[in-house]
Amino acid sequence: MKLKLVLSVSLLTLSAAALPRMANAEVAPLDLVQPIADYKIYVSENLETLVTDTKAFTDAVKAGDVDKAKSLFGSTRMSYEAIEPIAELFSDLDGSIDSRADDHEKAEKDPEFTGFHRIEYGLFTENSTKDLGPFADKLMADVTELNKRITDLTLPPEKVVGGAAALMEEVAATKISGEEDRYSHTDLWDFKANFDGSRKIFDLVRPLVEKEDSAFVTKVSGNFDKVDTTLAKYKTADGYELYDKLTEDDRAVLAAAVNTLAEDLSTLRGKLGLN
Amino acid sequence: MTTNDNKLVTTRRNVLFGVGAAGSALATGLTTARAAEKQGGQVTDAPVSDKTQERQSFYGLHQAGIVTPRPAAGMIASFHVLAETPADVERLFRTLSSRIAFLMQGGTPPELDDKLPPADSGLLGPVVPPDNLTITVSLGSSFFDDRDWLAPHKPARLSRMKAFRNDALDADLCHGDLALQISSNTPDTNIHALRDVLKNLPDLMVLRWKQEGSVPVLPPKPDGAHESARNFLGFRDGSANPDANNAALMDKIVWVPETGTEPEWTRGGSYQAVRIIRNFVERWDRTPLGEQERIIGRKKATGAPHGGGNTEHDVPDYSKDPEGTVTPLDAHIRLANFRTKASEANLILRRPFNYSNGVSKSGQLEQGLLFICYQADLEKGFITVQRQLDGEPLEEYIKPIGGGFFFTPPGPQDESDFVGRTLLQAAGHDVVRKS
Repeated sequence: MKLKLVLSVSLLTLSAAALPRMANAEVAPLDLVQPIADYKIYVSENLETLVTDTKAFTDAVKAGDVDKAKSLFGSTRMSYEAIEPIAELFSDLDGSIDSRADDHEKAEKDPEFTGFHRIEYGLFTENSTKDLGPFADKLMADVTELNKRITDLTLPPEKVVGGAAALMEEVAATKISGEEDRYSHTDLWDFKANFDGSRKIFDLVRPLVEKEDSAFVTKVSGNFDKVDTTLAKYKTADGYELYDKLTEDDRAVLAAAVNTLAEDLSTLRGKLGLN
Repeated sequence: MTTNDNKLVTTRRNVLFGVGAAGSALATGLTTARAAEKQGGQVTDAPVSDKTQERQSFYGLHQAGIVTPRPAAGMIASFHVLAETPADVERLFRTLSSRIAFLMQGGTPPELDDKLPPADSGLLGPVVPPDNLTITVSLGSSFFDDRDWLAPHKPARLSRMKAFRNDALDADLCHGDLALQISSNTPDTNIHALRDVLKNLPDLMVLRWKQEGSVPVLPPKPDGAHESARNFLGFRDGSANPDANNAALMDKIVWVPETGTEPEWTRGGSYQAVRIIRNFVERWDRTPLGEQERIIGRKKATGAPHGGGNTEHDVPDYSKDPEGTVTPLDAHIRLANFRTKASEANLILRRPFNYSNGVSKSGQLEQGLLFICYQADLEKGFITVQRQLDGEPLEEYIKPIGGGFFFTPPGPQDESDFVGRTLLQAAGHDVVRKS
């Protein structure tokens, strides 16, 4: 939670004269300082949770406790998924933490396939922790390294604001199909985290947009609410139902909400005068 | 060697031009050759077409894209519709109609601030050409069944497609609340149109499946005559299609009748049947020509029926062939159309495209026919014809894997109107015509 002074400095250097025509000339660059600072706190909190949860998860894997490891898989990923646009700034770590089998030529057998989904494959498909020890160690090390790197990072405002849409693009392109957590089917946990992460960014800049385009704000909030209502139907005592429980109609509702949020939030940077 | 060859070609051309007695076919060949010579373009130059300004009208009693001559590229896109209330359905219909009107007319999309995503994908350039585009909107059975307020107004013959005998339907390629048939001169124009629709209606429509297809292009014939295009089995398809220029015939075969059990809002509409029919082309290509021709019931080269005739337009006389010695009784064309007075009630207007999708897990080509047909009565039309075809020898070479049944509402009358307006009014929804 150590806020970097660099952040505000970098924003201050954006002089109004240097900015080309803005979609929304009313939003001054300085107005973004507070929302970005608040977002940095959100990211830090999530990273803290991620480190703690990953420790418990990888400990269970290494202790050979398949059931416990399985039960922790969905929730452990949530803090990562919520801040994915920032985590993805480090592509090496994102690859080793969160890549999927089909990102690798030899799929599950590929030695480069590591991280959450490699462990998920072992736990849920092979129903075993055998040979998962090294993957658990690497995941813990990667998450720790991610935390360190992001703590030292100046968050670029366009990446933060753009992250709201980027999260929706992720869901729209590769998650609505249920391919993310294909072995465990815990996709709804990821969805929830992705939506929460996107909404957090939207809520932080909302006052800046509201003045200019309240219809936009109402529409976007409405779609976030629609997602929440739909996901709430699948809430269980300790998380979410498996993805295959999702009805075709609800999947369509989520798909439409995601596509609409992606379209609308794609204008958020422009509305705030960011490139 | 190359130099010599070029000289030789040039000399021969000069000679032929000098003679000036070349037939028209020959002259056409030469013109093409000269055009190619003159080009001198770069490899990445865009191919040139003089048809990009061809334009179809969106307005009329009927929707465009039904009796409209089939252009070279087509697509069916099927959607799940999220509009539930009359107000949302009206917004869906109005937005769709206004996008279609723009895309079919062509023009310049609005210019937005460069910090915002552009209004148009830009894949056809800053000015969108019409390129002979039509977008035909059709509604599936579920569109009515899933909305209590629309269910009583469902077209009388509209049903959810059931598997026929030879079908192996893939659920991910079947049905839909709403289907768009998009056709134009080029696949790119169709894709541009689809992307425009998706971008403008993300909250009301979710794409479920789509299938693109094409029709082989032929050079114009010197006498101006038209030929039916060929399918991927190499046979002419649509040979026996009714004359789409004969309005009285279309009233009988394609458009929902003025009288009968159909709800009044459907007048001017038509039933659309879509079938994705995979062809096992490797096996077909390994089948003797005579057997292919017996299975289809036509000569492959000319399209002429067996037992006489020179073209696909010649009509076989089955009354003189009751035993099937000329055209086998189970030949495709014979089962598809008995050519009796009674079977006239089962005529359909076909508007198919060939599709090619890649390679199957077994390493065979995934290709076939994106079959589309229109008819006044779905049961008497496609369903009856397909039942007649069930069990035909051609089944060994084809496998229907997807598609669906839809109803194509009447066309918008003018710019103040929109597709689906008559349905909303029939359902008691107050619609204001505005331009």
